[in-house]
Amino acid sequence: MDSKGKLSKILTYTILTVGTLFILVPMYVTIVTSFKTPQECSKSFFTLPRSFYLGNFKEVIGRAHYWTYVKNSVVITVISVAVIIFFAPLVSYAISRNFEKRYYKFLYFYIISGIFVPFQVIMLPIVKQMTKFKMMNQFGMIVLYITLGLIQSIFLCVGYLKSIPKELEEAASIDGCSPWKTFTKVIYPLMSPMVATILILNALWIWNDFLLPLTILNKTPNMWTLPLFQYNFKSQYSFDYNLAFASFTLSMLPIIVIYVFTQKYIISGLTAGSVKD
Amino acid sequence: MAKVTLKNITKVYPGNVTAVKDVNLEIADKEFVVLVGPSGCGKSTTLRMIAGLEEITEGELYIGDKLCNDIAPKDRDIAMVFQNYALYPHMTVYDNMAFGLKLRKVPKDEIDKKVKEAARTLDIEHLLDRKPKALSGGQRQRVALGRAIVREPKVFLMDEPLSNLDAKLRVQMRTEISKLHKRLNTTFIYVTHDQTEAMTMGTRIVVMKDGIVQQVDTPQTIYEKPENMFVAGFIGSPQMNFTDAKIVKEGNNLFVTFGKEKLPIPADKAKVIEDAGYEGKEVVFGIRPEHMNDDAKFMEEHKDSTISAKIEVMEHMGPETFLYFVCEGTNMVARVEPTTTAQLEQTIKLALDMDKMHIFDKTTEVAVI
Repeated sequence: MDSKGKLSKILTYTILTVGTLFILVPMYVTIVTSFKTPQECSKSFFTLPRSFYLGNFKEVIGRAHYWTYVKNSVVITVISVAVIIFFAPLVSYAISRNFEKRYYKFLYFYIISGIFVPFQVIMLPIVKQMTKFKMMNQFGMIVLYITLGLIQSIFLCVGYLKSIPKELEEAASIDGCSPWKTFTKVIYPLMSPMVATILILNALWIWNDFLLPLTILNKTPNMWTLPLFQYNFKSQYSFDYNLAFASFTLSMLPIIVIYVFTQKYIISGLTAGSVKD
Repeated sequence: MAKVTLKNITKVYPGNVTAVKDVNLEIADKEFVVLVGPSGCGKSTTLRMIAGLEEITEGELYIGDKLCNDIAPKDRDIAMVFQNYALYPHMTVYDNMAFGLKLRKVPKDEIDKKVKEAARTLDIEHLLDRKPKALSGGQRQRVALGRAIVREPKVFLMDEPLSNLDAKLRVQMRTEISKLHKRLNTTFIYVTHDQTEAMTMGTRIVVMKDGIVQQVDTPQTIYEKPENMFVAGFIGSPQMNFTDAKIVKEGNNLFVTFGKEKLPIPADKAKVIEDAGYEGKEVVFGIRPEHMNDDAKFMEEHKDSTISAKIEVMEHMGPETFLYFVCEGTNMVARVEPTTTAQLEQTIKLALDMDKMHIFDKTTEVAVI
């Protein structure tokens, strides 16, 4: 390896190491703090807990309405993600296979233009509009997540569909598939890496989102999702770190489970062998 | 099994691009027809229109006696083998082959029987549990063939199925497809740009250029009696030699002349040329490489029709030798015996078998003889 290659390798690994530390250190702090007593927590942030103290978890779970917040988060995330992973591939398939038609091209660019608008810009108009439609509730929340989630998902799916050879659809149509069967039996299974990706991205975002529930669901506590509940560990003068981090650890679990189950589908080269490159 | 009839088939793409123009073709039941031509000649588009993958702009397509213009591909009772295999990557070889039958709700045990039988025919029984990515190019192509076979369609369509295989495997698969045609005894329509495939596999060849059918005939007739310069040049390797020439009459005899060369035209051919009014006219003279030779016996047989050739390149192929030479400013090639005494840079005499010559109209490029 020449010196230039060596230098770029050192640089790459340095950046990756720093980046990894930025993720691992807060995660480490979150997990160890959730197992510490308040006294241990006040002594040092980074030391390991002396005993695995489970009282924090017990207290978090025992708080009023905790299971209601979990249910709210689960309902909103599951419904929103289910609708997104069903419709995004469908819409993207229609768009990608008709991209030469003006209407579909317009539709695509119209949809993805939403990527370029920051949420903070549309926050107030959304609140106003949702209030007018009487949708300042979980249903409204789900509609908003689906709308916003579809934008990025369609953008990703349309790009991915370009890598699926058209000959496969032609072979399917000769084999006896209707357009719907071609989609369900051939295209959708081949899109599983991308479906898994959008599932993880959207589940992570919706499960952890704070700003949107704060603007839409903050009226009554029984509508809250977990991030709003966690926010309440912080008061004007204090922060119950051990309780907050215990609730963070608890809420991380479902996302880790989703990741473990879906990551096997994110395999590059799933279409390998279908056509000669 | 069915015949396929194309009546005035035309395909125009958006932007007024005509890919196929007024194709008329009658493919008999159990025939093996090869559509051949250079890239962009419309052969694949024609096949795709038969398959139902492209809409027909004008004309009528019949499979059997059924007008198929507006019938979906799945209802045409055809099977197609694609250039790039188009195997479903998420399915095993077995599922790839069974997919079409499952969609047609064929009973499970029958599917199993048909798939295993086809796999045995193609020698891919041991691959049935594998996914396409675990197969070599040749194995994938066999699976693609198997997928078509199990359907037992009326017509097999093949779009350059061998073009992605290496040379050795291509020759092997070529014979296997020919055997398959004999065994299945059904109609095959095969698209290729390779004239060797066309010549060796087809019972009839359709030569196409710029979306227009140039000639439809048996391989032998196409080779020996091409209807125009394009067909003459496209079929045969190395291709036919062409040179601008003139027809002259001296006494009762006709000659074809180019530069200082003057070659006598056999009487039967001379009559046709004369009757067609080409005496004294500029034409294109054509002769295939194997009809020129420096072999002593050949020279003796054709001693009146010899030319001077300056050898530029010699290619020893084993059973034959190609002599690339210049004659009167035109590059030509002769297929001679490997025992030839010709040397590089040497000017030698080559005899021409004028019974095998071709004359083309200089303007229309249509064959005169």
